[in-house]
Amino acid sequence: MWLTAIAATGVWAGQLGRHLLIGSEAGEFPAGTLDAGALQPRLLDDAQEALRLRSHRETTYEAAGSLLTVFFEVQAPAPHLIVAGAGHIAAPLAAIARICDFEVTVLDDRPQYASQARFPTADRVIAGPFREELRKLRGGRPQFDANTFLVLVTRGHQHDIECLLEVLDDPVAYIGMIGSRRRISAVFNLLEREQRIDPARLDRVFAPIGLDIGAQTPAEIAVCIMSEIINTMRGGPARSLREQVREERIARRTRITTVRGE
Amino acid sequence: MSTFYHQLQSFLDEGLAVAVATITSTKGSVPRSVGAKMIIHPYGRHVGTVGGGCGEADVIRTALDVLADGAPRIVTVELTDEITMESQGVCGGTMQVFIERFAVADAAGAARSSA
Repeated sequence: MWLTAIAATGVWAGQLGRHLLIGSEAGEFPAGTLDAGALQPRLLDDAQEALRLRSHRETTYEAAGSLLTVFFEVQAPAPHLIVAGAGHIAAPLAAIARICDFEVTVLDDRPQYASQARFPTADRVIAGPFREELRKLRGGRPQFDANTFLVLVTRGHQHDIECLLEVLDDPVAYIGMIGSRRRISAVFNLLEREQRIDPARLDRVFAPIGLDIGAQTPAEIAVCIMSEIINTMRGGPARSLREQVREERIARRTRITTVRGE
Repeated sequence: MSTFYHQLQSFLDEGLAVAVATITSTKGSVPRSVGAKMIIHPYGRHVGTVGGGCGEADVIRTALDVLADGAPRIVTVELTDEITMESQGVCGGTMQVFIERFAVADAAGAARSSA
């Protein structure tokens, strides 16, 4: 959290342009020269609230005719995109995501594909078994966090499933999985029947992946995936390709429940 | 942490003074939201955007004044022109942009004055 005094009068006039850097960890000491005097504790409380809401804000304080306007800037870490599979779609996707200011990790079990040469702009290129490497990427924490976006575009659905099962219950921002409507339906049926996965747990998966923009080439599909990620992150109104499959699945479940309930 | 601050740091490492513009409040339709930032570089190697167009040009002009005297300023960008063939900023809203100078010497001065 970065505080800046953007307007200041009276007793606070000398504070104009001064800053304060505040960490999210309790007990972290603020660094900087912005000093609001008696109001400092309120400033720190307001900073914690802005941090909690992850939202920038501007607040004006008043005391005995003096005014102090502070801009609170939340320093969110860059969103992290993990691309499982280093094939044709991963290459343009990793490049586009980097341009969109994502931290990008690419993972594949084939070292000839998962190479820095194929992904020159990626922050991390990992060659190793999917599930094991995903676990390592959690960095010692039990789950991926809400800052993580996962795209499953491996060479075969068995690897997509392997990755999906690893991350399905993590509170990530996005899980997208490639495949035609037919393949996705088959994969979901397989998971429900053979792995005893509760169908409702699969509803969060964006599959078929991407927004419905009629993409054809690998680069176009990468755009359609990235636009779905942005749409999810920003709460946009665009329609995902998955909606039809998802609605059909939910409708079928509801029908079954109703019939059983009777 | 983020690429913007890495870029700012690398300008400072070069020994340059740069200006940083931040959108601190908005009203109505504007091209970018609160928190959008831009580095104004003395020789035009700007980084980021506060919305482009004439509004940004005003910000850049004022930023050069901020670079010259070190005094922070607020620019109010009005994008409320009627839509005509001649008008330029017509998003419909206004935004406030805070502009400040960053330079290694400023930081050293601030550290001294707080000590």
